[in-house]
Amino acid sequence: MNKTNSDQIQLSIPNKPEYVSVARLTVTAIANRMGFDIEGIEDIKVAIAEACTNAITHGKNENDNFSVNFIMDEEKLTITVCDHGMGCIVNNIKKPDFNHLNQEKEGGLGIFIIRSLMDDVQITSNHGIGTTITMTKYMGDGY
Amino acid sequence: MSLKIIKNYDEEQNQWKIDLIGEVDIYTAGQLKEAFIKIIEERKESIKINAEGLEYIDSTGLGVLIGALKRLKQENKDIIIYNVKASIKKLLNITGLDKIFIIEG
Repeated sequence: MNKTNSDQIQLSIPNKPEYVSVARLTVTAIANRMGFDIEGIEDIKVAIAEACTNAITHGKNENDNFSVNFIMDEEKLTITVCDHGMGCIVNNIKKPDFNHLNQEKEGGLGIFIIRSLMDDVQITSNHGIGTTITMTKYMGDGY
Repeated sequence: MSLKIIKNYDEEQNQWKIDLIGEVDIYTAGQLKEAFIKIIEERKESIKINAEGLEYIDSTGLGVLIGALKRLKQENKDIIIYNVKASIKKLLNITGLDKIFIIEG
């Protein structure tokens, strides 16, 4: 058996808000099994929920599904959330400035949170094709 | 898991006291938004949120809180959050929202 192969789990989730909690519970079980500590599990849980929320918000319609892949390696968990929606703005998302409350729009907060909580985040978004968020959390030291 | 919202008006302190129990995510954020709109319409006073039973909140929930604060700030009122769980406190820290809400305890 080739030991370099990663274990994988795949989910296909309806574009409906009530299923985000399913992704959250699933990743909690996976990260717990891998041996992440409580803080690490919480970070991953929040990050995947933000990615799923993004997929639902920008997704095609309620009858479509988006996919979530979990790739488990000895030292890291990589999660890919992929939708077939309209795409979204992924660049130039900075830390929100709430000192100017009236100008601030709440959009982009989710992506900012993902980038803050995960160790490695890549986002590709194309109009008409969809958005893919790939995020990795390493075991151990972290933050 | 769902969200339970318990609201009481504190006549002595002239502020709302809100207990949030459960989870605020894209599924339950609408429910929270409606509750806030209603209470701010009723009385535009500061809102004190007991987050002891709040297990989880995401960016959609934080967006609702920001929206409510925007309306309250017009009257110089605040949102105070107390009994915040460590994981939620972390989220408030990284987003800088701990600077605009009053976090107690």
